[in-house]
Amino acid sequence: MNKVGLLISFGLIGAGLLWFLIRAIRGQEVERRIIFVFIGLAVAVPILFNITFSEKASPIVEAVYDKIENLSSGSKILISYDYGPSMAPEVEPMSNAFLRHSLAKGHKVYIMGLWATGQSLAGAAIENIVKKEFPEKVNGVDYVNLGYKAGNQGVLNVIITDIRKMYLTDVAGVNLDSMPIMKNVKSLRDMDLLISVGGGLPGVKEWVQFAGDPGHIPMAGGSAAVSAPLLYPYWPTQLVGLLGGIKGAAEYESELVRNYPRFAKMPQPGVKMMGPQTLAHLVIMAFIVIGNISYFIIRRRQG
Amino acid sequence: MKLKILMLCCIMFLGAVSAGLAQGNIDTSSQTTTPTISPPASPGNLRAKDTPNDNGHSITLSWDLSSDDGSGNKSVLGYKIFRSTNRDSGFVERGVSPSGSKEYVDLGGASAEENDYMPNNSDYYYKLRAITADSMIFAEMAIFGPIQTTGQWYNTSRTLILLFVLLFTSLMVYFIVKARKGANLFVRKLAGIEAVDVAIGRATEMGKPILYVLGLGTAADIATIASFTILGRVAKKVAEYQTGLIVPCNDPIVMTVAQETVRASYLDAGRPEAYKENMVYFATSMQFPYVAAVNGTMLRELPATNIYMGKFYAESLLLAETGALAGSIQIAGTDEVAQIPFFVVACDYTLIGEELYAASAYLGREPVLLGSLKAQDYAKAAIIVLAIIGMIAANFHWNNFTEIFHITN
Amino acid sequence: MSGSRPWGKIILFSSIALFVISWLIKAGVLSSTGGVTDISVRDAFFVTLAAFLTLAILSFLYKDNPYYKFAEHLFVGVSAAYWMCVGFWSTFVGNFIPRVSSTLSGFFGVPFKEFNVFYLIPLILGVMLLMRLSSKTGWIARWPLAFIVGTTAGLNLIRYLRSDFVNQVSNTFVPLLVEWKGIGPFFSGFSLSASGQFTLSLTNWVIFVGTFCGLVYFFFSKEHKGFYGGASRLGIWVLMVTFGASFGYTVMGRVSLLVGRLTFLFQDWLGLIS
Repeated sequence: MNKVGLLISFGLIGAGLLWFLIRAIRGQEVERRIIFVFIGLAVAVPILFNITFSEKASPIVEAVYDKIENLSSGSKILISYDYGPSMAPEVEPMSNAFLRHSLAKGHKVYIMGLWATGQSLAGAAIENIVKKEFPEKVNGVDYVNLGYKAGNQGVLNVIITDIRKMYLTDVAGVNLDSMPIMKNVKSLRDMDLLISVGGGLPGVKEWVQFAGDPGHIPMAGGSAAVSAPLLYPYWPTQLVGLLGGIKGAAEYESELVRNYPRFAKMPQPGVKMMGPQTLAHLVIMAFIVIGNISYFIIRRRQG
Repeated sequence: MKLKILMLCCIMFLGAVSAGLAQGNIDTSSQTTTPTISPPASPGNLRAKDTPNDNGHSITLSWDLSSDDGSGNKSVLGYKIFRSTNRDSGFVERGVSPSGSKEYVDLGGASAEENDYMPNNSDYYYKLRAITADSMIFAEMAIFGPIQTTGQWYNTSRTLILLFVLLFTSLMVYFIVKARKGANLFVRKLAGIEAVDVAIGRATEMGKPILYVLGLGTAADIATIASFTILGRVAKKVAEYQTGLIVPCNDPIVMTVAQETVRASYLDAGRPEAYKENMVYFATSMQFPYVAAVNGTMLRELPATNIYMGKFYAESLLLAETGALAGSIQIAGTDEVAQIPFFVVACDYTLIGEELYAASAYLGREPVLLGSLKAQDYAKAAIIVLAIIGMIAANFHWNNFTEIFHITN
Repeated sequence: MSGSRPWGKIILFSSIALFVISWLIKAGVLSSTGGVTDISVRDAFFVTLAAFLTLAILSFLYKDNPYYKFAEHLFVGVSAAYWMCVGFWSTFVGNFIPRVSSTLSGFFGVPFKEFNVFYLIPLILGVMLLMRLSSKTGWIARWPLAFIVGTTAGLNLIRYLRSDFVNQVSNTFVPLLVEWKGIGPFFSGFSLSASGQFTLSLTNWVIFVGTFCGLVYFFFSKEHKGFYGGASRLGIWVLMVTFGASFGYTVMGRVSLLVGRLTFLFQDWLGLIS
């Protein structure tokens, strides 16, 4: 970590917050655009100076890691790309980490999506990760991209009993029955683990309700931060584990790098984003404190 | 004598060689070889039954483990399952169960087009084989059968869900009937709804209009339907006080229903002539352009009161922040849990989740709404009682009770 | 007012000039470095365009301006067209045509499944739904809408009862005294670790009491007074803590998106970071 960058960040922001505090004590208003500038600085400076912090997996994230790690090699893992470009900065590190981990363990990976935009993002992941980092993996043998199907939860309702009622071919038009990976795979119940990555509708909740729960199939989730609190009630009985937001992604990446030296040089966008994330959160917390101080001072003066 | 002994030895030797060749245990091309794995003990007590609570095409097998599975010689790697429609021949491998497992579900296809079609009401025979690392060394059980698959009309594992459905439906019907007969079903006051009247009065005094936002839901969403009832009440008050009302809509059907609601309210208030078509208008159906349109209205018209009732998403904070900038009193209500924090922070009053539905029942006093609300309340009471009993059961390990709530299929 | 027009023109021409300069520099930089892929002038244009649109949207933080309006309208138009195409190709061509017509399936290059007469029903319902565009026949759209509402309610009833009701009720069956062996062993084996008896018991107390009081808050048939009022008050506190956590999570999500955008600007556009 760049210590100079850290000093500059804390120095700049600390000075600014002090100025805020003084104005707050004096009961003076602060232009909201200055607050925007501070948030911008709190995010931009750590990015420029590559400020990062070490991460340790929390139990809810570790549970997902352990599940994939402990499945015997050759197990079937389905990853559903249920997000679009608007959510990609948050959840793409998760989906990439799941893909790397599953392939490194020798599992069979089945890729699909309930979002139209998820299909192209899955394709990009295959091009950038599978083909480059795992050139020995063969499409149709070690992984398959089933693509997107319209219908939201309706798709899950069908493929929980028969995948071929929705998917006859993969995304490239190759017949599923000609692929060794699809042999003995009739429905979602043949999967050893389902992973949904997303944050909207349909998302992890729908996967739990329409696939994981009724099919008694182990289910894990990678969710955008907005939806994560709504999914905590499902853990640990209905969800094996959950990665919530970029923090969850960073924790998973750290765990992966710690246990797999081959990934030491892989990009870790989750961990990288936690630097600016941490600073921005500290600034917001400081704003809340300063705002409350100002509120009580003004109230006392008026009283 | 010696010749007789020699001849006897030769005959015995020839007999042993013949027997060894017949069994294939003697490799005549090489010296003696001994097998490295001894045949495992046979698993026992193979049983098969029609898999319960399904549409058929499935048999569940169970057996007792081989004594060499995990103990003894520890040579058992798993169990191979074979099936045939004929007792004597035609056995086909159906799958492999790993060592330590005592059960296997043989699931076949449901339609004739499928490769592994397994029709119902047909006889099936099974045999089980404990396998080792050497494919030639295994132990096989006696054949079990015939067994047939059938589909069930009723899934017994979902009986609890059926009971809850019947319970809630009965409660709802009972309370709706009771409400229709004129019974006074009590609903406690809601702070947000009490504030609506105050806010309307404030708008009248200031001579500024009221902005009512129905959210981004469709006319089929419950939150939007609840919002229509509240809109009706607000419109009636607005008509009585002769205050302005602005209702920008995101969905054409919602706009149609909202127009009818407001028109009916003005009629009820005895001021049909005061109703204007452009009070309720369609802005756009896209999320953020809708927000831009509503924000523009707020900053131009400077309404005294903003009421947000319905389904909101990421635009909730944008709306509430702009309303705060415009200096309006803000009352919000939504069932989108992710957006409630933003309304709580930025608005003066917030109806949280179910309070929105309760508000529509409280204001409208319609028997269906009141009856449904009462039924929900009793259902909540039932959940509280069940939770207390379940907590006690968990403490005292009364598994019979807690297991009832584990739905297996 | 008349003074702002020259400023507007200056800003406009400056923006165009900066765009072109950025495009040329980016194309030059990319073609000289080569990189893993052979990025062309076209790709440099798109990177520059994406950067300018990002800055245009962010300019709204200062105040509303024509650049923001342009970027927003462009986004609205492109996304409307995109979703229309996706809707046609994924729903109509992907799900409907393979089940009704082998000729059309061949034309669109999708595998034909088999003719299923039941798939004509959603076609008819879809046409009925489009009737809402006409004021005279708009009432017809209520029937498929009623069908959609009823079907969704029926499908969801069992799912929600199972996953969000029965299973969640079951999840509140938690022992308040985990692995209780008596007061002596409790204090002698006291531990603050996550898997320790104290922590687990405290967790279960929070789950049970929080669920209980939260449910009490949403009970509308009784006034919030006395013990009931106290439990309701605790319930709303639990709810507010939840909303605070949800708020914090959402802030994290929004900041993540900002980080993503700034990373794009610094890395892909300006090349300040590797």
